[in-house]
This record gives sequence, structure tokens and C-alpha cells, in this order.
Amino acid sequence: MTNRLFVLDVPENTQIVEIARAQPGVSLDKVGPYFVVTADGGVSVDRRSSGARHAVWYSWIGGLEGWRITQWDSDGLRLDPR
Amino acid sequence: MNELAREHLVRGVDHAAFPTFDPAATVRFYRDTLGFPVVHSICAAGWGPEDHPDFIHFFFDIGNDDRIAFFYYFGLPTPGSGEGKGDVYAQFGSETPEYFVRSRHLALHVDSEEHLLEYRRRLDASDWPVEMQIQHETIESIYTHDPNGYFFEVTRALRPVTPQEDLDANLTIDALVDIVNRPDPSMDALLVRKAELILERAEAWEGERVVRATSSGPGTRTTGAHHLTGAELIASPEGPVQR
Repeated sequence: MTNRLFVLDVPENTQIVEIARAQPGVSLDKVGPYFVVTADGGVSVDRRSSGARHAVWYSWIGGLEGWRITQWDSDGLRLDPR
Repeated sequence: MNELAREHLVRGVDHAAFPTFDPAATVRFYRDTLGFPVVHSICAAGWGPEDHPDFIHFFFDIGNDDRIAFFYYFGLPTPGSGEGKGDVYAQFGSETPEYFVRSRHLALHVDSEEHLLEYRRRLDASDWPVEMQIQHETIESIYTHDPNGYFFEVTRALRPVTPQEDLDANLTIDALVDIVNRPDPSMDALLVRKAELILERAEAWEGERVVRATSSGPGTRTTGAHHLTGAELIASPEGPVQR
């Protein structure tokens, strides 16, 4: 099943979205002002590569469809299908 | 229909009032350290019920003609033991998490980093030095506690709020209102509900923006131009967090 992650298009989030998109099997689209990250399997985002400040890192996710967050800490974010 | 019925009519904070048991230190903090002018005071013999003490109600200007106000009641002992966490109005046991104690606070807005650092300089030279300076998502803040234990913040915007953040805020709150009426509200439930609302409304919102921008000419901000003041950044505070 295809899973979707929605991320608001603001400057703080663009680098994080780019890291997610660079992974195999991941595609990127837009719906209104939201990036839509789509993939069939799990996806990980490394926190340090994102360069996100603390408050940005812990608030960048806009919406979840299909995926469940299985890790969201100072090392990274992991999404796995429900 | 009343033509005002759907208008947003209020104009900021007339005053936010707090009790103080140390008016001398309160004046040193707000007037002498921060430089907030005293703009009003009332010397009142106890009014209302007979057991109401005489009191002084005094006000400091916090910009925009908004005011922070204090009540000093003659002879009223400080409630609480003075131990544990909190301020002179609300005390909590030592087991209460710090983030909760700090969640209720006043944040004042400044227009630039230079102005933020000026208040940092004033506080650092006083008995109430800055305890934290933190960049949140889109704001930078300094924090201290005033002489009454009230958590006090000065903040500046790192960039203007974008129109899409207004949409996002509304989708978040609509999702929140939906899921707190269900069993076991959680971040997971909120993000799933918010995804549904994004799919229902985000595309149409973008379409409306394009139409409005086309009809009002290039370079025109299409929604919420008042947000550019940055004042609304304060209205959706990020709780202070350690980096």
C-alpha cells in the first residue's frame, strides 16, 4: 500500500524533505502548500543531515496517511507502514 | 444581520494583571531594569466585601499602549509555603514537571535581534539575568523570571509568518478538536486526522490564493497581511525547550 507524509512548504522544512526524497522508492509531490512524500515501504530521515534545529525537528510533520511513526528522536525519524 | 457580527474587533492587550507581594522589586524589574514606563496607578481603599484590603493597582507600558498590571494588597500574607515550584500566584509540588510550570507565561514582542539583545543586556546587568536564549521554529526568545516568579519572555520573529502557516494552524486546530472528542487522543491520531483535512482543503486553499493574487495584482499578500507584524507569533507560543 502507498503511504503518504504531508509536510508544510516553509523554508525550515525543505532540507528535511530533500533528505526523505533522496531515498530509493520515495517520490515527492505537492498538494496545495504541502509537500507529499510517498513510498510503499518504510522511510528514515537522519536528523543530523537535516540540520534542523530542535524545535523544527520535533514539529515538521504535517500529516500521516498509511505510515506510523516508529522513531522520532534526536537521531532521526522512522516511518513504517501500519 | 449585525454588520459587526463576524468582525475581529479587539485590539490587543488592554492589560494583563497579576498579584505581587514585592512591589519594590517589581518596580525595579519592569521600570528600572526593562525601562517600561509606569502609566497608571490606583490607590484604593478596600472595596467591595468588608474584608477586602487596601491595595495599589499599578500599570507598566509594554508597547503599543498595552499594559501589564499588578495588585499589591496591604497586609495580605503571601499564600503558599514558598517551597516547591511556581510563582506567587500558583505553587506546585516539586514533582510537577518544569515544562508545565513554565507553560503559562507572558511573551513580549520586539522587532529585531538588536532590540532583543538590548533587553538581554539590561536583564544580564540586573538581579534577573537571562536564563535561556533559544531559537524556536521561526522565533528567537530570551527568558527569565520576574521578582514574583512569573516566567517572562521577550521574542522576535526570525521571518514573517507565511500564509500557508495560517492554513496549517487552522487544519491543526480542526484536527485537534476532532480527535480530543474521541477516545485516547494522541499525536498519531492528530496527524492521521490532519492528513484527511489536508486532502480535503489544501488544494482548494491554494486555488483561492491564486485567484485572489490574480485579481489583486502581483506582489499583493493575499491573506492575513496583519500577520506580518509578527505579533501573532506570540499568540501561538512554542513552549520553551532546551536546545
